[in-house]
Amino acid sequence: MNRVKIGQSVPRVEDQRFVTGRGRYIDDIDFPDQAHGMALRSPHAHARILSVDLSEAQNLSGVLFCFSGQDWADEGFGPLPTKSAVRTNSDGTDFKEPPRSCMAVDRARHVGEIVAFVVAETRATAIAALELIVVDYDPLDAITDPVAALQPGAVQIWDDIPNNLCIDWDLGDKTATDDAFARADHVVCLDLINNRVTAAPIEPRGAIAQYHTDSDTYTLHNATQNIHANRDIFATNVLHIANENLHHLAPDVGGGFGAKNGAYPEPALVLYAARKVGRPVKWINDRSESFLSDTHGRDQVSRVELALKGDGTFLALRTDSIGNLGSHCATVGPFTISGGSARTQGGPYGFEAMHYRGRGVFTNVALIDPYRGAGRPEASYQTERIIEYAARKLGFDPVELRRKNLIPPERLPLKTAMGLDVDCGNFPHVFEQTLAMTNRRSYGDRVTKSAASGNARGFAISPYLECTGGSPKEFVKIDFRADGQVDMSVGSQSTGMGHETALPQILASQLGLPLSDITFTQADTNATPLGGGHGGSRGLELGGNAVFQVANAIVVAGKSVAGHIFDLPADQVEFADGRFFVPDSNHNLSIREVIDASLDADHLPDTIDPQCMNRNSTFERGIISIPNGCHAAEVEVDLETGRVTIDGYWVVDDFGTIINPMLADGQVMGGIAQGIGQALLEDIKYDPQSGQLLSGSFLDYAMPRADHIPTMEIGYYEGAPTKKNPLGVKGAGEAGCVGAPPAIVNAVLDALQEFAVDHLDMPLTSEKVWQAVKGNVAK
Amino acid sequence: MYPFLYQRPTSLDDALKSFRSADDACYLAGGQTLLPVMKQRLAMPSDVIDLASIGELRGFTVAQDRLSIGAMTSHAVVAQAAEIKSCIPGLSHLAGTIGDPHVRNRGTLGGSIANNDPAADYPAALVALDAVIHTDRREIAAADFFKELFETALEGDELVVRVEFPLPQKSAYIKFPNPASRYAMVGVFAAVVSGAARLAATGARSCVFRLHQMEQALDKNFDAAALAGHSLSAEGLTVDMHASAEYRAHLIGVLARRAVDAANGRGSGS
Amino acid sequence: MPVLNTRVNGKTVQKEIKPTTLLVAFLRDGMGLTGTHVGCDTSQCGACVVHVDGVAVKSCTMLALQAEGADIQTIEDLAGDDGTLHPVQQAFQKHHALQCGFCTPGMIMASVALLSANPRPSPAQIRHGLEGNICRCTGYQNIVNAVLDASGQLGG
Repeated sequence: MNRVKIGQSVPRVEDQRFVTGRGRYIDDIDFPDQAHGMALRSPHAHARILSVDLSEAQNLSGVLFCFSGQDWADEGFGPLPTKSAVRTNSDGTDFKEPPRSCMAVDRARHVGEIVAFVVAETRATAIAALELIVVDYDPLDAITDPVAALQPGAVQIWDDIPNNLCIDWDLGDKTATDDAFARADHVVCLDLINNRVTAAPIEPRGAIAQYHTDSDTYTLHNATQNIHANRDIFATNVLHIANENLHHLAPDVGGGFGAKNGAYPEPALVLYAARKVGRPVKWINDRSESFLSDTHGRDQVSRVELALKGDGTFLALRTDSIGNLGSHCATVGPFTISGGSARTQGGPYGFEAMHYRGRGVFTNVALIDPYRGAGRPEASYQTERIIEYAARKLGFDPVELRRKNLIPPERLPLKTAMGLDVDCGNFPHVFEQTLAMTNRRSYGDRVTKSAASGNARGFAISPYLECTGGSPKEFVKIDFRADGQVDMSVGSQSTGMGHETALPQILASQLGLPLSDITFTQADTNATPLGGGHGGSRGLELGGNAVFQVANAIVVAGKSVAGHIFDLPADQVEFADGRFFVPDSNHNLSIREVIDASLDADHLPDTIDPQCMNRNSTFERGIISIPNGCHAAEVEVDLETGRVTIDGYWVVDDFGTIINPMLADGQVMGGIAQGIGQALLEDIKYDPQSGQLLSGSFLDYAMPRADHIPTMEIGYYEGAPTKKNPLGVKGAGEAGCVGAPPAIVNAVLDALQEFAVDHLDMPLTSEKVWQAVKGNVAK
Repeated sequence: MYPFLYQRPTSLDDALKSFRSADDACYLAGGQTLLPVMKQRLAMPSDVIDLASIGELRGFTVAQDRLSIGAMTSHAVVAQAAEIKSCIPGLSHLAGTIGDPHVRNRGTLGGSIANNDPAADYPAALVALDAVIHTDRREIAAADFFKELFETALEGDELVVRVEFPLPQKSAYIKFPNPASRYAMVGVFAAVVSGAARLAATGARSCVFRLHQMEQALDKNFDAAALAGHSLSAEGLTVDMHASAEYRAHLIGVLARRAVDAANGRGSGS
Repeated sequence: MPVLNTRVNGKTVQKEIKPTTLLVAFLRDGMGLTGTHVGCDTSQCGACVVHVDGVAVKSCTMLALQAEGADIQTIEDLAGDDGTLHPVQQAFQKHHALQCGFCTPGMIMASVALLSANPRPSPAQIRHGLEGNICRCTGYQNIVNAVLDASGQLGG
């Protein structure tokens, strides 16, 4: 692949190694003399740890080192902090952050929390040693329901955190919202649950730590998405060493979706273990352990209220949501239930006023952290469900009610009642473009056909509006080598999204260089001084713009080099299609020729630095971008069994400029599949009494398979590139997951209209739907 | 996995001898259930006796009125063999619904029935088709073979050699899979054997069972319409996080009708 | 320790192994063939699918000793000796049928087996035929398209 352009579906360069089995994931890496670590995890959701006896395990042949939570505490290591951007309650007081030690010391607070750690010659020996550790637990009552956990007298997870309340936060104009509700012609109210799910990247988490005695430094290979931020946490907060003494890098990472964003205990444990045993220590989670110890997503219990005028015009939206944080604050922790879920309330619709209250609550379950969307899917679900509910209750056509309330393009830019800066877009156009794809004219025929075979058919359209997020800075460095290769190092990170193609594609298109000349490096604290990794659909918005910016800087530098060669002032040199030239002259050089000249110090004047075209650049985001779009779904329900089949799925997205449409499609389809999974199949379920995880393997946690997912038709609206960044990109990674759940749930409820089912909580399992058809749901 | 001694006998006699001389042996057929259990360290046999090299456990034969399938025949072979498809279409269809293609390439008829997982598919076929299990020492009617949760009539060292199925006039299997595991949340096998209607359900109790009342209704008229008004009590049916007893009872009724339809050539399932 | 005699990617292999060694561990740790992945511990995900005597199996649910005398093929052996990708590998790249790449070796091995059993599968048959392989990234649509293309059914 040589000359490439922005907007071209360039096939991925990384695929060459992935399709041949030559990817290099964490478990594919082994160091000489490497030992293996395994964690002993609490079998209790809540228990005092009275004692941990490691002696038998330590005596097992092949065991190198065992340590308990108390041993860890005795070393004086610090807890993993939350980096939540929201840290104060509505009343101005600080939120509550309990210490998140990497190991449970005197009390375990969820099943799967690490109680002891074993390092052995082999993984098999480490597993055998775990069985020899004797822990004396004093089980305590457990609580898993966040609403119950807020009640007086509920089980206390932390002795000094009353009512298990981590944060109580609000956003919006409460008075204006209350006023709007007071004068509304209609008010509707709906209680709903956003089910707890797990990201379940197919590669489990893992890490390998090395300690270098000579330099008293560490190297950590880690299957994570956030190399720089987590390096700082492990070094500064936990180990109390200088950041530069920890070299943190990620090999190929087999998916993340947010669950590999945060700092986890295990990498810290292997760093310590590597120093203690003086050998590299590798740890790889089992899938069963992943279910217990990966951070989960969603898990909110919400009351949503909508105020409307008699003609259906929206006046105000009020959301009160309780988020189950699990037993501690994870790395992003309480941000998801606060800022993360608040910002995009109301979607692409006009409201006079909005108010959002979010409370984060501790319970005896695994921690919550970002999962694809992290708050925006919740907001979209709350908004779209209450609109659908209002339409049904008040007798509006759901399509018309939405059409009527979409913000028209002439009102943009505007700041929403949630303070979100919506600069551009054409929501009505995107809505109509989506609707036009759905073959509405023949819908009635399909309904009739379904009915003839005992099935009910339903349809829903579901506009969404979300925003980007994640670290607001990104760094890129370009080194032109004398052999013609170009080294690109970036601080953003792909865990499957295709940055290795898309970012070089931007550079190659801007500079007119062959794509194959560019060597890509990411996720390495030695390669870039800063990096925001992955998260918040920031890959192109930050990394892409950093590349775009550095390309411009390279052109500027190249002009001075070319000007020197042409013996003309640099400002007379122009650049296009990979060539520096002076118009109306025969001065014309390829970028490669200019690069070569720039590297030839002997022939450059003192005024030109021979490294001048080797540039780095830090791009800083001003304001987050607003991806938006519209989903629509058609479903068929087998009324006898309750089984839901998705028969049509359409989506139009406004991601601004599309760099590589094929990769954008991939992001959309993958996100939709995860949204469908949450809507129909996936459910992290704990036993409410014991706090045991019931859906702890792929035998009980229903992952979407090929035959669950429909064919999806995808379109784009490219008429509104954002001016918030030079490329005009808005972020694509999470949008599918934001739009899909309400589209599916609303379509199923549409199919069930004749059974007067107002609401069902996800996942819409076949039994749940069947019970609803039978009339066994609250009306 | 806990350590064990691996043995691979080439005859039935040797397999039995190996088993009897070991402390706590187990037979390894396709391993699609046993190995996951051993990986989770939920079983620690002293000896694992691999049956893969015993020729007489393999293959199938179709006689005039019987189909005989060797215990070590894979689900994939049962699903794909044209002769089986033509003589007992419901059995062939059932084998094609077990697990996934990779599991079907390794999993075996003998291994499945000896394990008697309450959500396994094969027990429904054997009971509905009135099959006879031939072991190294005797013949056991399917009705007597499946005892309880993970329990069969097999003695500790007893080996399934083959299963003989009388050729039914009609047969079909309808499965409602657990969306996560793909085991049967409920499965119903419907057949007409020697002129009599036979229905068996799996996934709904600790062990496969027949639907006698529905069979009686079908005896006069093997048509799904004959099942109208027939329902099954939820009492004693399995409850788990995926389905209530009530839902399972309901599904059995639905699947029974659909299986009878399929056996009559309407809809899929055979 | 027992000795395993087998063929891996066309080469005869004779190796002492512990009976507890799973085929996937033998391939990854014993043979250095790390293209075969482990994504779960309950035989569900399919990341470990390889071919044994021409049929797809989950190498996490087979003892290495069960492969005595067998012919094993892994993802590393699918491309030609000159590096030419197998048509299924080509189609996966062309159709963006992979993202993180972790499930991909199993998915490709499953797809090759599917096509050898059914050279012209329908989209529904492909989706059913891949029920033993979980992909968390792609939403499967591009995988279905890749398999259709590899079977010559997409035209162009």
